[in-house]
Amino acid sequence: MLEIKNLHVSVGGKEILKGVNLTMKSGEVHAIMGPNGAGKSTLSYAICGKDGYEITEGTVTYNGKDLLDMEPDQRAGEGLFLGFQYPVEIPGVSNMNFLRSALNSQRRYRGGKDMPAVEFLKLVRAKAKELDMDAEMLKRPVNVGFSGGEKKRNEMVQMAVLNPSLAVLDETDSGLDIDALKVVSDGINRLRSPENSILMITHYQRLLDYVVPDFVHIMADGKIVRTGDKTLAIDLEEKGYVGLGITENAA
Amino acid sequence: MVKILHLHNPEIGKHFEGIRSSLTGADQAWLGAVREEAMTRFTNTGIPGPKVEEWKYTNLGFLANENFAVGTKADQTSEIKAFYDAAYLADIAGPVVVFVNGHIYPALSSYPDEEGVEFSVFSENTSAFRDTLESSDQASSLNDLNRAMVTDGYRLDIAAGVQVRQPIQIIHIVTSATDMKLIPVRSQVTASKGAKARIIETFIGAENERYWGHMISETTLHDAADISLIQFQLQGKQAIHMTELHTTVAEKANFSHMSLQLGAEISRTELINSFTGEYAHIDLRGAYLGRVKQSHDIYTRINHDQPNCQSNQLYRGVLDEGGKSAFQGKVVVARDAQKTNADQSNKNLLLSRKAEANAKPELLIYADDVKCSHGATVGEMDANQLFYLRSRGLDEVAAKGLLVEAFVAEVFDDMDDEILRDAFKAKAAGWLSREERA
Ligand SMILES: Nc1ncnc2c1ncn2[C@@H]1O[C@H](COP(=O)(O)OP(=O)(O)OP(=O)(O)O)[C@@H](O)[C@H]1O
Ligand SMILES: [Mg+2]
Repeated sequence: MLEIKNLHVSVGGKEILKGVNLTMKSGEVHAIMGPNGAGKSTLSYAICGKDGYEITEGTVTYNGKDLLDMEPDQRAGEGLFLGFQYPVEIPGVSNMNFLRSALNSQRRYRGGKDMPAVEFLKLVRAKAKELDMDAEMLKRPVNVGFSGGEKKRNEMVQMAVLNPSLAVLDETDSGLDIDALKVVSDGINRLRSPENSILMITHYQRLLDYVVPDFVHIMADGKIVRTGDKTLAIDLEEKGYVGLGITENAA
Repeated sequence: MVKILHLHNPEIGKHFEGIRSSLTGADQAWLGAVREEAMTRFTNTGIPGPKVEEWKYTNLGFLANENFAVGTKADQTSEIKAFYDAAYLADIAGPVVVFVNGHIYPALSSYPDEEGVEFSVFSENTSAFRDTLESSDQASSLNDLNRAMVTDGYRLDIAAGVQVRQPIQIIHIVTSATDMKLIPVRSQVTASKGAKARIIETFIGAENERYWGHMISETTLHDAADISLIQFQLQGKQAIHMTELHTTVAEKANFSHMSLQLGAEISRTELINSFTGEYAHIDLRGAYLGRVKQSHDIYTRINHDQPNCQSNQLYRGVLDEGGKSAFQGKVVVARDAQKTNADQSNKNLLLSRKAEANAKPELLIYADDVKCSHGATVGEMDANQLFYLRSRGLDEVAAKGLLVEAFVAEVFDDMDDEILRDAFKAKAAGWLSREERA
């Protein structure tokens, strides 16, 4: 279970999150929507521990453990995964090499052993195939020269291989063509289980048709201003933020 | 006020007088004369000081105070074997020539033995080196010091059209208990028309000894020859390592030099290259990794004296706390050298605010129809890349290690020889894990 209580976050001395409260139980899928600049990505970075995101107030716990006290890699070890809105290019590091290091680091964190090379290769190939990604791309440097959509799909391959218990997906659907959206949605649905929780940040109702959320939250100006079920997203699609009485300076 | 450009240490001359009768080939008059003249020139000129432009980044001031004695032959020890095992690329196999403390070490050597390949060692055949030692063209004062004191070295001649099958490995070892030793060695490589060879040279030595390795190499590529020289510098952390390579490249010939600088307190790599024919290619590349008290200095010069030639330079540096580096790349394109294509790239990654990387590209272009480019950068590790890796579970050390490896990978990524490429990678990774322990 993820519990965020009264979370205040400042970036560069400016307060961006102004008291976020959110509780996600195991097995639940939540969606966060909200205008540009509302603080959605900031929330995802704060959960995952990016430098420069200063927590001025509040707590974030996962399965009872204080996440804010942990390094980003320890949080990953605890089962956290962040699907980046803008996946980072890393020239000179192959996807394979990166994935192997990541997976084995997490296994070691949990007291396990490295995955045998052959088993790893099989796993990655299978996951890439599920997500319709050419195995050749796995040999290429991480995200370098990938199209916007390919980068997002690569995030999903990583997620499938690492098999997190809590996935925070920041606009994973942006920049995907219609077929790719279907493939990626299937990928998210495969992760769905009574043990796993998923937090999806999105601007579009369409994703939520494929991955039906248990809860939908609307964030504006650093706070969650409304919570409902999937119909809230449908409402929003029809009326827009202003129509729902939410302005960008909703404070 | 007169600027003091050169430094003097009278002890060097005295040491020379004391040992000259026991130097290699002391019974040969011509060699005695060469040594004597070289010593005189060196004494007159002195050691280049920090005010000499080319030596701005490597301060040789210590040579005025520290007294080095020329290295002598070593007995067989297990230490030598251990260094050999660390340096020898067993997967490549092939001939290997080992020098210990600047003297040939026959017990571990097996000379190249192939039709069309002539190999000689200075201490076994001094006259094979007479031409090069007697010609003092372009001799710098340190070149003269080396010439006066030289203990050993090798000469490789490849006949026209001969493609040497296996790479030739040369290993220079410096043992412990050689404190304050000077190791002056030389090499001479000549590739006749269409000849092809790959040489892998490794410098390795005692971790806690002060010694000064000094090597002069002269390489001549005739038409359509193809020579690739790879140098691994793994000297002990108190060592001074200097190499000075002079190379001429004739029509349609290909020269490639690749180096990895990991060891030594002070390293200086000088690569002086000239085209002597058209449609030839020079490729210089390397990575240098430095940390506390370490300084690496790469000094290159490419004289584009002929039209239609191409040169590429690619250098990557990684400097951690207390590490220092310089890349000085000079390209001179003569007035008639039209259609010259010369590029140069030097990027540095600083892992600490207390690290220093200097880049000094220098292009002197006297022709008008040329393509020349240079780029030099000094930057820190990318915080977004680091976070991306860590968010996937890699701890800080592993994430940084992967990024450093990636940063230098460009230097050797497109090497066709997988064994060599892996050797480069493994050695660079070794530097990183050594850092973890520090
Ligand atoms: N490094 C920073 N320095 C100052 N302000 C920042 C910084 N990073 C983000 N912000 C500001 O914080 C606010 C929230 O940004 P955030 O990226 O979290 O928004 P978002 O809800 O994800 O928007 P979008 O829907 O466009 O992705 C924005 O006003 C942004 O300009
Ligand atoms: Mg965002």
